[in-house]
Amino acid sequence: MTDLTQAAASRLLIDTNHNRRPWGLLLVAVPVFLVGWLVIWPTISAIARTVWRLDADGNYGFNLSSYVFFFSDQYSLNNLGITLWTTGMCALLLLVICLPIALYLRFSSGRLPAYVQGLAIFPLFVPSIILAYAFIRVLGPNGMVDILLNSVGLPKIRTPYLTPWGPVIGLVWDNIPLTVLILLAGLGNVANQSIEAARDVGANRLQVFWHIILPRISNSVLVALSFSILGIFSAFTLPYLLGPASPEMMGPFMQRTFREVNDPLNAITQAVIAFGFCIVFGLFYVRSVARNQGG
Amino acid sequence: MKRREFMLATAATAGTLILPRMTSAAEGVIDWYTSSDSNIYDFWANIVKPAFEAANPGITINLVDAGDGAGIIAIGERAIAAKQTGTDPQADYFETANPRLPAGAIEAGIYTNVKDAGLSNYSKVNPLAIDSDYSLPYRGSQVLLAYDSTKLDPANTPKNWDALVEWIKANPGQFVYNRPDKGGSGGNFVRRAIHQANGRDPSLFTVDNYTEEFGNEALGKAWAILSDIAPSLYDSGAYSSGNTQSIQLLAQGVVTMTPVWSDQVLQAIDQGVLPPETGLVQLQDLALCGDFSRAVIIENGTNKDAALKLADFVLSEDIQSAILTELGGFPGVSWDYVEPALRERFADIVPTTIPTFPSGQWEAAINDGWYRNVAPNVTRDS
Repeated sequence: MTDLTQAAASRLLIDTNHNRRPWGLLLVAVPVFLVGWLVIWPTISAIARTVWRLDADGNYGFNLSSYVFFFSDQYSLNNLGITLWTTGMCALLLLVICLPIALYLRFSSGRLPAYVQGLAIFPLFVPSIILAYAFIRVLGPNGMVDILLNSVGLPKIRTPYLTPWGPVIGLVWDNIPLTVLILLAGLGNVANQSIEAARDVGANRLQVFWHIILPRISNSVLVALSFSILGIFSAFTLPYLLGPASPEMMGPFMQRTFREVNDPLNAITQAVIAFGFCIVFGLFYVRSVARNQGG
Repeated sequence: MKRREFMLATAATAGTLILPRMTSAAEGVIDWYTSSDSNIYDFWANIVKPAFEAANPGITINLVDAGDGAGIIAIGERAIAAKQTGTDPQADYFETANPRLPAGAIEAGIYTNVKDAGLSNYSKVNPLAIDSDYSLPYRGSQVLLAYDSTKLDPANTPKNWDALVEWIKANPGQFVYNRPDKGGSGGNFVRRAIHQANGRDPSLFTVDNYTEEFGNEALGKAWAILSDIAPSLYDSGAYSSGNTQSIQLLAQGVVTMTPVWSDQVLQAIDQGVLPPETGLVQLQDLALCGDFSRAVIIENGTNKDAALKLADFVLSEDIQSAILTELGGFPGVSWDYVEPALRERFADIVPTTIPTFPSGQWEAAINDGWYRNVAPNVTRDS
C-alpha cells in the first residue's frame, strides 16, 4: 500500500514535470511556427538563393556577383544612401517632435492634454495612401498652403512634393502615434517623488530632464526609435507617392526591380541587404529588451 | 500530452488547413482574372458577363480581381505548379496578361496558342495589335497630350515632336510626364521619344529583336533627348508617380500640358476632375503610342473550351462596339469590323494607325535605363 502510494506520488511528480513543458511549448508553438515559416525560412532561402546559384555553365556554386554589383553600382548605392538619410532624418525629427509631446502629456492633467493625446494618436487611423493624397492637396503645388499664402500676398512655398523631403514629412507624421505611446509608457517609470526630490535640492527643469528623466527613459527611446526605424527603412507607399523618381528608397527600388525590370535575383539581393541593415536596428531593440528583463 | 498524441493532433490540424485547397474548379464556371482598373472590371461585370451568359446557357463567369500584374503572374505560377502535379489551376482566363510572364510559362505549356485554337473571329484581329500567338488583343487605348486651353491657345498647340520640345523649353515647368514604369501615359511618352530618336520608325522595334547592343544604341539616343528637356520640366525635372498624379497636377493648374490615356482623360473630363476647358491634341508626325490589352487562356484550365468561347465572344461586333461606346477604348479588331455608324462617329478622335511599342525585354530595358540615365541627371537643388 505504501509502496503503491509512493509509486503513484512519484509518478505524479514525474508526470507533472513531463506534462507542463510540452503544454507550455505548445502555447508558443503557433507563433514560433509562423515566425519560422513566414520570416526565418524566406530569409534563409533568400540568402541561399543569392549566394548559391546556377552559373553560366549550368552548375550550382557559390556566387557573390549580385552583391558585388550592388555595392559597385553607383545608382544602387545612391538609393541605399537616400534610404539611410531618410531613416536618420525621420528618427531625428520624431525624437524632436515626440519627446516634448510625451513630456507634456506625462506632466499635465486636465482636459487639454486629453485632446492633445487624441490628436497625437490620430495618424494611427489614417491609411498612408489617404495621407499621401492629403499631403499633395495641402503641401503640394498650388495646394492649400499656397492658396492661404497667396491670399495674404505672400509668395508660394517650395513644395516638398516629389523631393526627398516629401517622404520624410509623410513618414514622420505617420510614425508620431507609435513613438508618443512608447515614450509615454516609458515616462510612466519616472516617479514623481524623484523629480520633486531633485527640485528640492535646486535642480532646474533642464537638469531634471537630463539627470532624472532621460536616464529612466533611455530604454524607451531606443525601443521607440528602433520600432519606427524598422518601419521607415522598408517604407513603400509614402516614398513611392511623394518621393522623387531618383534616387528612390529601397522599398520602391526593390519592388521596381522585381516587377518592372523582371530581375528577381537583384531584387532579392536588395532585400537581403535591406534585411542586413534592419537586423542591426533590430538587435538594438532585442538588447534593450533583454537588458530590461535581466535587470 | 504524449508525443504521439501531439503528432496526431498536429496532423489533424494541418489536414483541416490544407483541405479547402483541394477543392477543384467547378465545371462550367470560367475562372476569370483581371489586373486592370475598376472601370474594366465594371465593364465586364455589367456588359460582357450578362451578354455572354445569356448567349451560352450553362456557362457562367467567375470574375476575380487579381489586383495588379504581379497578381496575375502569381496565378500563372500556380498554373505551372498545377501542370507539373497534374492538378487543377483554378484559372481559365486572364483579362489582360503578358504570356511571357512568368518566365517560361509558354514553354511550360500553360497558355493556349490562340492563333491555332480555331477562333472564328481571330482573323478580324487588328494585325498591328498582335504581340504573340499566345495572347489575344481585344481592346486598346492611346496616349494623347492634354492641355489647359485657358493658358495655351488651341491654335498654338504643338503638332509635332520638335514643336513640342520647343514649347517645353519655352515654357519651363509647364510640362510633366510620369515615370515610365508607373503608368502608360508617361511610359508611352518615353517610347515616343525612342521613336523620335530612331527615325520615327516603329517597325524597328519588335518583340524579339532586343539585344543589349541594339538596345543601348537605340535607347541611348532617346535618353539624350529626354535628358535635354528634363531641366524644363515641372520643378526642373520632377516626374509624377502615375497617370492619375499627372492629371492631378494638370487639374491643380500646376502644369499646362501632360500626356494622358485617351480613355482616362475622357472619363476625368466627364466626371469634372478636369475642367471642360481641357484640350486634347495628338502629334501629327507620329502619334504617341497606344497599347492593347491582350487576353490569355490557360491551357490546363478545367474550362478551357468555355474560355475559348468567351475569347471569341469578346471579339464579336457587339462587344467590340461596346468597348468604343461604353469604355472609351479602341477595338482590338480592325476598323473594318466595327459597325459603320460608329466608325463614322469616332473617325475624328481615333487615328487610323496606333503606333505600338513591343514589350518583352524592351520593357525591362526601358524601365531600368530611364531610371539610371534620365531620372538622376538633374541636380534639382541648384
